[in-house]
Amino acid sequence: MPTETDKIFSNFKEHSVAEFFKKNKQMLGFSGKTRSLTIIVHEYVTNSIDAAEEGGILPEITVKVDEIDKLGERYRVSVQDNGPGIPKKHIGKALGQMLAGTKFHRYAQQRGQQGIGATGCTMYAQVTTGKPVKFVSEYDSKRLVGNISVDIKTNSPNITDMVEEENPEKKHGLYLEGEFGEVKYDRSLGSVYEYIKRTALANPHVSLTLIEPNGDKVAYPRSVEEVPKKPKETQPHPLGLAVSDLVDLAHREGPNTNISLFLRERLQRVSDAKVAELAGLLNGTTPGLPAVDFNKPSREMTWPEAEGLVHAFALPSVKWIAPESNCLRPIGAEQIQKAVAAILAPDFAAVTERPPKIYKGGIPFLVEAAIAWGGNAGHVDSNNQRGGDIMRYANAAPLLFDVSGCAITKAIKDVDWKRYNITDFEQAPITVFVNVVSVHVPYTSAGKQAISDEDEVYQEIKYAIMEVARKVQLHVGGIKREHEQAERRKAILRYVQQLSRDLTDLAGKGKPDELSGRLTHLIETKYMSQIMEGKNEAEEGAGPGASGFGKKKKDADEEDEGEE
Amino acid sequence: MNMAAKPTQKPAPAHRKADSGEVTRKLEGLGLDMLKEIDEEQTPSFTTALRSKGNVLYDEGVGCLRLGEKVEQRKFVNVGQARKFMQTVAVAAKCKKFLRENSHTSIRGLFYQLKFSLGEDLDEELFSEQSESNPLIEDLEVAIDVKREDLNLNTDRKGVVAGPLVLRDKFGGDETLIDATKQGRSGWMIPSDVDNGMTIEELDADYVLVVEKDAMWQRLNEDKFWKKENCVLITPKGQASRGCRRLISKLAAKKLPVYVFTDCDAWGWYIYWAIKTGSMNLAYLATDIATPQAKFVGVTMQDIKDYDFLGKLTIKAKEVDIKRAEEMLGYEWINRHPEWVNELKVVLKTQKKIEQDALQGPSLSFVGEYLREKIGKKKFLP
Repeated sequence: MPTETDKIFSNFKEHSVAEFFKKNKQMLGFSGKTRSLTIIVHEYVTNSIDAAEEGGILPEITVKVDEIDKLGERYRVSVQDNGPGIPKKHIGKALGQMLAGTKFHRYAQQRGQQGIGATGCTMYAQVTTGKPVKFVSEYDSKRLVGNISVDIKTNSPNITDMVEEENPEKKHGLYLEGEFGEVKYDRSLGSVYEYIKRTALANPHVSLTLIEPNGDKVAYPRSVEEVPKKPKETQPHPLGLAVSDLVDLAHREGPNTNISLFLRERLQRVSDAKVAELAGLLNGTTPGLPAVDFNKPSREMTWPEAEGLVHAFALPSVKWIAPESNCLRPIGAEQIQKAVAAILAPDFAAVTERPPKIYKGGIPFLVEAAIAWGGNAGHVDSNNQRGGDIMRYANAAPLLFDVSGCAITKAIKDVDWKRYNITDFEQAPITVFVNVVSVHVPYTSAGKQAISDEDEVYQEIKYAIMEVARKVQLHVGGIKREHEQAERRKAILRYVQQLSRDLTDLAGKGKPDELSGRLTHLIETKYMSQIMEGKNEAEEGAGPGASGFGKKKKDADEEDEGEE
Repeated sequence: MNMAAKPTQKPAPAHRKADSGEVTRKLEGLGLDMLKEIDEEQTPSFTTALRSKGNVLYDEGVGCLRLGEKVEQRKFVNVGQARKFMQTVAVAAKCKKFLRENSHTSIRGLFYQLKFSLGEDLDEELFSEQSESNPLIEDLEVAIDVKREDLNLNTDRKGVVAGPLVLRDKFGGDETLIDATKQGRSGWMIPSDVDNGMTIEELDADYVLVVEKDAMWQRLNEDKFWKKENCVLITPKGQASRGCRRLISKLAAKKLPVYVFTDCDAWGWYIYWAIKTGSMNLAYLATDIATPQAKFVGVTMQDIKDYDFLGKLTIKAKEVDIKRAEEMLGYEWINRHPEWVNELKVVLKTQKKIEQDALQGPSLSFVGEYLREKIGKKKFLP
């Protein structure tokens, strides 16, 4: 959904592009130094994955972050992929022109929906360091090397020092390298480190390597040897449309397409009868709805008209056939299982892929969830304490920011974890993974970093988590039981030595070592099963009265009887 | 708080206590039974009478509290009991050592003897608080049917006696004759053990008078009350200790009547009942330390009517007095006496109490007149 970005850029005045960019960095996701670096890596990595997948290639991506000047908060980011590369004629548009991307306005479930694209990164480099981005594009039998920046007056690419070389080995791939300021590298939540890890988890067919500024190499080799099927492109369903989307789509039509035809041809599930029904509602007689001329060219559709249409789509009286759900592309339970095993190496993991559901009366979505327990599951904080970790995804893209406003976070917090043998989620070695899959993910805002709590979506997320939590419960319950059994055994064995010493003293007979050996043997053989099951504990505690084995007593009777 | 004598290391004297051999045999027997159980591939265990309130009975025939028939088996191989079991055996072994060495200590001294780490790898002590060891001593007493004094464990000395009584005390290798008429202003302090190495040599008294408060005892001692009345004058200084109760019981066994004089409030009366029937907490000892024939001489609610001046000297009963009076009304060994039910009800109704010290109101020595009159006219409560 590029419309927010679209609006921002279509409104700016040419002579102040750079200034505008600077002022509006936050709106574009560049808020906070750690986050800005993550956004840059995210743009490059998602482009790389998408490009490789489109080329039918198993993606292999290496991200390297170098510190140039820590005080100046300057870092060099380089990304090498094994995708098809970008041909010469497209390279300018891909890296040096805002809103030129081919991905925009395509209604398939997309990974790189958040973005400002690679051009945004080029611009960010320009604005913060004044330097162009270096590229090496290998495709067919060519190698293209050069520097690219954005001519901010004309919003057109500015390529310099371009060299075209032969590439006889027919290697393919894209290498990008840029210098960025006002950024910071660390391993906090929301960092590049977490982003790479989370991306690897949700994309088991991708081999991801991160080389950190200190030289540490974090590698996530792929655990699945299969390129996922391409998502099916579909027409948008009326219920999934925002006003701006509708205006965008309508204005792309030729002069001979009127609104009736546009609705019928370009939107999903719109029949002649439906057009007639809508026209009946939008004839100026329905309170709150404007009159819309269905015969005028769709390219002349005004904002108020689009608004009227979107309102009419959503009226309860207007029934829709649900959108096609075969356009949803989940990661898949098996794939998640493999990725979780490879990356978190947990003691136990449970995964579920729920069937498609519908929200807002017609938008299909589905939820995948996994819980990993033990091993490397959970987040390790700066004090080296491991605690519950929440991994949120929309269409397999990690959501790293706006944690508290997200329906996934809310659902996890609302689960009564004690019911699942997890007494304190915040302290547990647990990772909860949730991927919300939809052509129209209900984001909370243009930042697209959190999922809004649409009732159906929230409920479905919660059910998915509860489903996997039940499986984990059995496992954790088992661990607890084993632990308790070991404790019970220890509770007796730890006293054997002392008892043996005193008992041989008391009886004036036997040797302590020999006795403790026999007692230990007796406990570990004959009595073991009783101890384990806690069977012989019923007679404990003779009630509230005066017994040395019962609870500590205190009644007035005790006063002053010559005790001390 | 008695920061008890450390056990002294002395060679065993020639005159070992008559029954210390028997107690040692009982302790060894406890240990040997446990070893036998282990030989038979059973968990070591011991059996002890249940000391909870539910197993405390009033024995009408004898007139004292005692434990009922309920017993408990304590097992080592039991997660809930293992630690306590080990601790009980440790207490028993330590007591056996005290007996062998013929040295005594307090229950606090015993606790310190047993407060040590169970091992370098175990973050646990054998005992870490005295409140853990105290009840186990009682368990042991009940299990092998001995008193703690027989295990060479002293309790606090508490209680003072004066009067025509001579005792022979064999202690620390010496023998001493104690003449309770020659103890001056302070009297003879009653030890915790009045059985082992302690015998009554002479007793030429008409009765035993037990007064609750030390101050009152001092008053009567100064007046030579015991000399004038030919009685044994004892104060337990509040609730009577085991040793004090045992001495009263022994004197009663010599056919002396026992009269008890306390404050006119629920607590004073409770002190009386603990002397007479034993207390619930020490029900397992009651036949030894109770004095069922004891009578209550005062102060009573009736006294407030009979002695005009007392009416002005009452004080308001406190919540704890009221609570205890209510409790006492529920005890069958008390509420079987209509006189006592009546007394307690008056307390609950008037919410008043009066101290024995109030009898010094008219003159310091009035209390002597009061006692003479009440004892002479046999104005007792049962």
